[in-house]
Amino acid sequence: MVDQIMAYISTELLKDPTRQIREDEPLISSGLIDSFGLVDLALFIEDTFGIRIEDVELTSSVFDTTSELAQLISKKLPSSTP
Amino acid sequence: MGLIPILVFLSLSILIGLLARGKWRSWAILVVSVLSLYWLQPAIPIRHLDFWLPTLSLGLTVLVWQMIGSKNAERNRREDGITFAMIGALVFALGLTRYLGKGTFLAPTRPPNPGSIAFALLLLASLSLLITKLREKGLSLANIGAGLVLVCFILLKSQPLAEAVSRGLRVLSGQSSDLASASELQWLGFSYIAFRLLHTLRDHALDRLPPLTLREYLCYVLFFPALPAGPIDRAERFQRDLHSPASLTAKVGLEGGTRIVVGVFKKFVLADSLAYFALNAANASRVCSTAWLWIMLYAYGFRLYLDFSGYTDVAIGSGLLMGLRLPENFHQPYLKPNIAAFWNSWHITLAQWFRAYFFNPLTRTLRTAKVKLPAAAIILIGQISTMALIGLWHGIAWNFLLWGLWHGLGLFLHNRWVDMQRSHPRWFPQRLMEGHPLQVLSVFFTFHFVLLGWIPFVIPDVGQGMRLFLRLFGA
Repeated sequence: MVDQIMAYISTELLKDPTRQIREDEPLISSGLIDSFGLVDLALFIEDTFGIRIEDVELTSSVFDTTSELAQLISKKLPSSTP
Repeated sequence: MGLIPILVFLSLSILIGLLARGKWRSWAILVVSVLSLYWLQPAIPIRHLDFWLPTLSLGLTVLVWQMIGSKNAERNRREDGITFAMIGALVFALGLTRYLGKGTFLAPTRPPNPGSIAFALLLLASLSLLITKLREKGLSLANIGAGLVLVCFILLKSQPLAEAVSRGLRVLSGQSSDLASASELQWLGFSYIAFRLLHTLRDHALDRLPPLTLREYLCYVLFFPALPAGPIDRAERFQRDLHSPASLTAKVGLEGGTRIVVGVFKKFVLADSLAYFALNAANASRVCSTAWLWIMLYAYGFRLYLDFSGYTDVAIGSGLLMGLRLPENFHQPYLKPNIAAFWNSWHITLAQWFRAYFFNPLTRTLRTAKVKLPAAAIILIGQISTMALIGLWHGIAWNFLLWGLWHGLGLFLHNRWVDMQRSHPRWFPQRLMEGHPLQVLSVFFTFHFVLLGWIPFVIPDVGQGMRLFLRLFGA
């Protein structure tokens, strides 16, 4: 999951497939992904994992790294619900 | 807010932090917040309006709380009833201070007669019950609540409408309507209260809002340190802090106390000193020298930052003393290398609010629309409209709109610049782009872009602002 997210960020948002993103690298607070890119990232996640990322969740206080984003997705995946 | 209210808040925050535990902390915060709503409200020449506006803030908060109640969620009716009775008693007791003559220190002017206050409280209770009944029948009133808040906001922020309201209120109170003025409608903290109410209404509609008791909700919306100048917290985060076992330790006390001292120094020493020669509409036309004009503009830019961030420091420091960590609102905004970074560090909670509730939904809608617009067009629409709205939040006037458009355009151009760098990496060698000289130049350029943007912000007359802008460049 993290690899898919990283690949999307480096290829589509940063337009540099060779760019290595660390799991703990700040994406939002560092300005690496701008507000427009965040919405695109949310749409990509929704299409790929079939979950909904709310507009109010697109903030560094909810997730700021790919690993935090993966945790958020895992929580929302149907298999994680009791 | 002057030094005396800050000293009073400091003392009360320490007392609450030291003595109030568990639910008593939220009770203490509630009582102080309700009293502060009246105490900090500026006096208004329209009879009793400076009593009714805080009462309206309180009433709107109670009604919106009723609207955000879930149909199925069990509410603690007894506890909420006690809270309602408590705030009713407080407001009524405040009204009774009219008989103390000069002792009415908690209300800005002599309060109205107890009969009209009792009527207002009964009306609030009736409306509250009506909303509960409608909600229990499954009727969602969140949109009506949001509409009501927005109408109040527009009436307040638009000069011609505010003047018309002032005229109407003067007629109602039997005063001369010739003296009506938009500046009379000084409604303490409403800009921030409105954003907290709208946030909870929207999150309720998205089913993201945790259940809140009336006491928790009133504490969140009317939290006294954040009443006059924010920041705009989020309800679920505030609620978590309110329930955390807080104790005023030496470490927290030192951190909170330092923030307050720093805030007071920024506001009352630095900002107030700069105010003597900071640019304003009156002194702008009198200055002849271009160099002085620049100095006055610099003074204004730093004064605004020090004033606003100073108040935020005081609010955050006071919150810390009571065990509540309010969100940061500023993070060295004038040292940022681009305008996007500036907006991630200037009035952070307002920018985040607009991103969450306007920019993101708008961009998502445009991105997923059947008619595909180019990415650049969506970015332009999103940035310009968001910044225009942030401008209009400061006041519905051309100068604030122009300020918003200036920043919206800046954000759009920055976005395109970054996109060009990423699309053509060979044109922009990384070593050069991330090198120290270019970074320093970027900070210098961004700071001056923001600084020039303050001209329409501070000069209400757009024509005068334009002339001033040209004069800065020798034209």
